[in-house]
Amino acid sequence: MKRLLLLSFALVLLAGLCFAEPVEIKVWHYWGGFEAVPFQAVIDGFNASQNKAHAVAQYLPREELNRQYTIGLAGGNLPDIAMVDNPDHASYAAMGLFLDITDRVKAWEGNGKFFEGPWLSCTYQGKVYGVPQNSNCLALYYNVDMLKAAGVNPPATWDELAAAAKKLTKPGVYALAISAIGNEEGTFQYLPWLLSSGATITKLDSPESVKSLTFLTNLVKNGFMSSEVINWTQADAEKQFATGRAAMMVNGPWNLQAVQTDAPNMNWYLAKIPKDKKYTSVLGGENMGITATSQYPNEAWAFLKYMSGTSVMETYMTTSGKFPPRSDVMNGSDFWKSDRLLKVFADQMQYAMPRGPHPRWPDISNAISTALQEALSKTKTPAQALKDAQGKVTKALSN
Amino acid sequence: MKRGRRARMSRVLLNIVGVALTCVFLFPLYWILVSSLKTNAEIFQVIQTFWPSHANLVAYLDQLHGEFNVLTPLLNSLIIAPATLAISMVLAIPAAYGVARFAIRGKKVIIMGFLVTQMLPSTLILTPLYLVFARLRLINNYFSSILADSTIAIPFIILFLRTYFIGLPKGLEDSARIDGCNRFSAFLRIILPISIPGVITAASFAFIFAWNDLMYAITFMNKTSMRPLTAQIYHFMGKYGIEWNRIMAYGVILVLPVIIIFTFLQKYVIGGLTSGAVKG
Amino acid sequence: MRRATYEKGDRGAGYLWVLPALAFMIAFIGYPLAYNLVLSFQKVDVMNIKTVGKPFIGIGNYREIFLGDVLSTSLTNTLLFTIGCLVLQFSIGLALALYFTTGFRLQVRLRGLLTVAWMVPSTVVALLFKFMLSPSCGILNYIIVGTGILREPIGWLTSSSTALWGTIIANTWIGVPFNMILLTAGISGIPGELYESAAIDGATGAQRFFRITVPLLKPAMYAVLILGFVYTFKVFDLIYVMTNGGPVHATEVLSTYAYKLSFERFHFSEGAAAANVLFACLFLVALGYLRLVRDDEEIHA
Repeated sequence: MKRLLLLSFALVLLAGLCFAEPVEIKVWHYWGGFEAVPFQAVIDGFNASQNKAHAVAQYLPREELNRQYTIGLAGGNLPDIAMVDNPDHASYAAMGLFLDITDRVKAWEGNGKFFEGPWLSCTYQGKVYGVPQNSNCLALYYNVDMLKAAGVNPPATWDELAAAAKKLTKPGVYALAISAIGNEEGTFQYLPWLLSSGATITKLDSPESVKSLTFLTNLVKNGFMSSEVINWTQADAEKQFATGRAAMMVNGPWNLQAVQTDAPNMNWYLAKIPKDKKYTSVLGGENMGITATSQYPNEAWAFLKYMSGTSVMETYMTTSGKFPPRSDVMNGSDFWKSDRLLKVFADQMQYAMPRGPHPRWPDISNAISTALQEALSKTKTPAQALKDAQGKVTKALSN
Repeated sequence: MKRGRRARMSRVLLNIVGVALTCVFLFPLYWILVSSLKTNAEIFQVIQTFWPSHANLVAYLDQLHGEFNVLTPLLNSLIIAPATLAISMVLAIPAAYGVARFAIRGKKVIIMGFLVTQMLPSTLILTPLYLVFARLRLINNYFSSILADSTIAIPFIILFLRTYFIGLPKGLEDSARIDGCNRFSAFLRIILPISIPGVITAASFAFIFAWNDLMYAITFMNKTSMRPLTAQIYHFMGKYGIEWNRIMAYGVILVLPVIIIFTFLQKYVIGGLTSGAVKG
Repeated sequence: MRRATYEKGDRGAGYLWVLPALAFMIAFIGYPLAYNLVLSFQKVDVMNIKTVGKPFIGIGNYREIFLGDVLSTSLTNTLLFTIGCLVLQFSIGLALALYFTTGFRLQVRLRGLLTVAWMVPSTVVALLFKFMLSPSCGILNYIIVGTGILREPIGWLTSSSTALWGTIIANTWIGVPFNMILLTAGISGIPGELYESAAIDGATGAQRFFRITVPLLKPAMYAVLILGFVYTFKVFDLIYVMTNGGPVHATEVLSTYAYKLSFERFHFSEGAAAANVLFACLFLVALGYLRLVRDDEEIHA
């Protein structure tokens, strides 16, 4: 009798192990509303493809997400997979949020298949702390009819831009709209100009740097660009462009649909951001990593691999309007080459530079956006603003 | 009361000026309403319109179903706010009475103490408070939000009601004592009933503090299903920018329940019962 | 003047009434206060948040932020903002409270309507006013330029000189009903007979106001002012959403500065230090309030 009991117990245990409950993998992100739909499809696909892990996505507004990570590090609860904006990745890696997955990556087919910029943003001190989820960059939007009426071509260089600006500015219409707000968005928008002049982030007070900031300041001084740009987000700039108050704007692919909705009858197109010495753009996009506190790193890694698989990635990118961080996906598909609008962004992607990566990036970014604001609001000269910014950066890097 | 044509005319004038003042002051609210009925393009055009050219309820309909539906958040708010109200009233009313009508040594220190708890910006209370709630296992539990909101309501109620209680006639407790009551039953039987206007006013403030709280709610309850109505705003403030018409519609929806409750309670709120002449 | 006859017996009893609320607040706010204090004397930032022993650096963080230029700007802005809002909110609120208690038919309903302004969450108000004050598509400038008061629209939030005023306007709009209701509560407590007998004695309206209303309204006024000061001093989301502290720190206040230090730049200790500067200012002001409380106790005893 006892042996029978023991046997049945063993059988039940065995059955339990075979039909084990899938573990729950929590994935946190900041995609709200319809932006989250393509990602949910990835989650559902993962869950359907295997039964060891069940992924659950949780939306938190962006500010709140970052706060939760910080609080979580101090002793709260964290998810299994955390999404961060790519320039923040190094900071969070330094803070210990992410698990070191260097060895796992080495054994993975995706290793080495990513674009350099996005991949770099996931690393810290030579180790890998996550994978890029998607990429994007900035480009120039322009109003075709307005340019034609003014008799100018889409500007390709700064000189052409300055000349075109004069012809495009009219009462009620500015030539160019950007976002120069005092946070990461402003830095993001200023970087293409800064880097195109040949300057680098670690040497902000170089003559090239000053040239780039002076160029933008002069646009405002001459009335070609509104002084309100220091208060505008990229979304605000889009509204200006879509309502015909700006002939051109610098913005990202996430606003393609917004322009189509807000100005369905406008005739507009895209071009590369006008260059000084070389074409540049700045890298946007999000990364995902496994948290150091996750109890199921293997299952979480399985999710990341699934998400970064070529076909899953391609489907996700084509439905979400974002760009793949994997070069084999981008180059292997006709989608980005043939789409009239996306191909300009795709082309611009090769020039996109990452921000940092450095754990002190927030301080560097803060110094840059402050200088931008000070110069555009004429509180300081561009040279002085950048000199002060360099002081802050030097201090932050030496800490 | 003055009679005669002159008196009547001056009262009519008072009413008219009163309405005018109210209209001027509430113009922003009118603007919210009008904007919520416009399309995005119309909101941003150069020539402003004071009434939408094509009033449409799109922004409102969006909120009633689908992704952004307001039902669950509304229910959450309806749980959190009244509970905060209950807890803070139970704790704060006696305390207000205590510092109003008792000679407590160190009374000033105690009042100061309550004030002091209000002096840190909420964003910096978040992290340590989160740690406290985490240890109490209250994260993603309505009580975390309720207790956190109470920390705002309680000191306010105490400071407000204290002033109110001080203004009550002194002899009230004495007459109760003569009847053989102890302090506590005197409080319940005499003071409280007389203080209904003050209490209800204080309660309204507490309710609104809790109803309008955003920061504590989303920090301590990160599950979407538990978020209150205030958190809905994030649906309209994404990377795609601010969807003005939806935000305005959301603003209207958020304020509506409070207005409804207030309209019912108007009679009891301060000034409701004393609509007669108080000033010569 | 005589106090209630209960007094002698229940010195101790008074504590019992206060204890539950006090214990509650100490339990939930005491720890955060202590936490921030300790944090401000350590050096905790992005590099060491996870390490167990945090280095103690005394007043280093305070020195750091006081040497920087943003703190003094934030402090000045916070003071200007608070005093500006308070003066406007209080005077308008008092005027409205007095007006809407004169005794005409619609006064209660209109008062209720005015209160709605205070019920709108500050994030929505911030966005609303940001939109209304815009030079390019805001209704206020549209009216100003349209009626010819000025030629050019005012860049309320885009110009460093007027940005703070833009935020003051928005915050005042929220604060007026709050002041109005609390002052109305105080006014309703004043017995009508006092005014009547004063009128019989030949006192003018102004004399009735200054000799009756003001003294009896003092407790309510002080309560309104100190609460208003504390709440306004630490306003965060209105300013953060409206201007994000810009342009170029023109609207940077202590609470936004502390927030950015902690949560955007990950200098947690410096953020705690900035928050404590805010705390210290409020503490000093509250001490001043207490002296006034002592005075008014003696009048009403």
